[in-house]
Amino acid sequence: MNIIPTLEWIEKTDLSIAIREGALPYPIIGGFHLLAIALFGGMLLLTDMRMLGWAMQRYSIADVVNQFKNWKRFGFLMVTISGLLLTWGEPLKMYRSREFWIKMTLFVLVGVHALVFHKSVYGHPERLDEAAPAIPIRAKAAAVLSLLLWVGLIVSGRLIAFDS
Amino acid sequence: MNKFNFFEWLTTTPWANMMNGAEWVFPVVQSLHFIGFALSIGTIVIVDLRLLGFGMKKQSASDLAADLRRWTLAGICLMLVTGFLMFSADAAIYHVNPSFRVKMTVLTIALLFHFTIHRMVVRPNASAAFAKIAAVVSLVLWISVVGAGRFIAFT
Repeated sequence: MNIIPTLEWIEKTDLSIAIREGALPYPIIGGFHLLAIALFGGMLLLTDMRMLGWAMQRYSIADVVNQFKNWKRFGFLMVTISGLLLTWGEPLKMYRSREFWIKMTLFVLVGVHALVFHKSVYGHPERLDEAAPAIPIRAKAAAVLSLLLWVGLIVSGRLIAFDS
Repeated sequence: MNKFNFFEWLTTTPWANMMNGAEWVFPVVQSLHFIGFALSIGTIVIVDLRLLGFGMKKQSASDLAADLRRWTLAGICLMLVTGFLMFSADAAIYHVNPSFRVKMTVLTIALLFHFTIHRMVVRPNASAAFAKIAAVVSLVLWISVVGAGRFIAFT
């Protein structure tokens, strides 16, 4: 199956043209993409750092995970929707960018991470507190992998823009 | 030494040469800039949302602010150092960029606000109404800093 005609069709849609050629849409959507990182990336970092025992030690892991959960979901939606729109604006450029595919691979791995660790870590954070003050190794592993994935997503995202 | 020469000189410094060297350096430093503001703005937002009553209700705003302070400061340091490095790479161009100037003005106000009024309203005896207004001002200021930052590349 050849995907190029589909991408060319996307590039000709009004939405794609507006995002690509208008002066304001691209930086505004890019601004939302960044704002999601600025507003809610901190909660992601803090959740992971709590699981590693680096931050917010006065609160239980369950408190941190549960109270940040909905805001993090909101941030995830915001970053995904704005990212999708940015991609819709330049589908062929993205298709040809190696960094874009690295980023998409990491994005899929975020999904795999969620599937792997949902039951044992994020779904029942109160179980992690039972071992307090020790922190279960599975929580630490989930936190390290989560940090690596998100740093990788940021770096690969930046590299897309500088790809020549 | 006049102002213009200073910015020209910045672009000739060893760290500016590093930024303008290998292709991957600038985006990697910019990524660190993003991580820096995720940490600084992100932790400030957690306190602001608490002041507004939108989350973390199990803790008081003053406890949260005290526990997050070191991370806010670490994030601010990382974002200022990496921001300065990026600025040095093309200082003469950036300093006349309107979006850059707006960003620096709002950033200065945001930092001053953070270390004065924002510090005051997270104290346990602060007025709740005043704290809410300060939280909204803080959110608006930091959102404006990020927004203006995004426009630098497009102006």
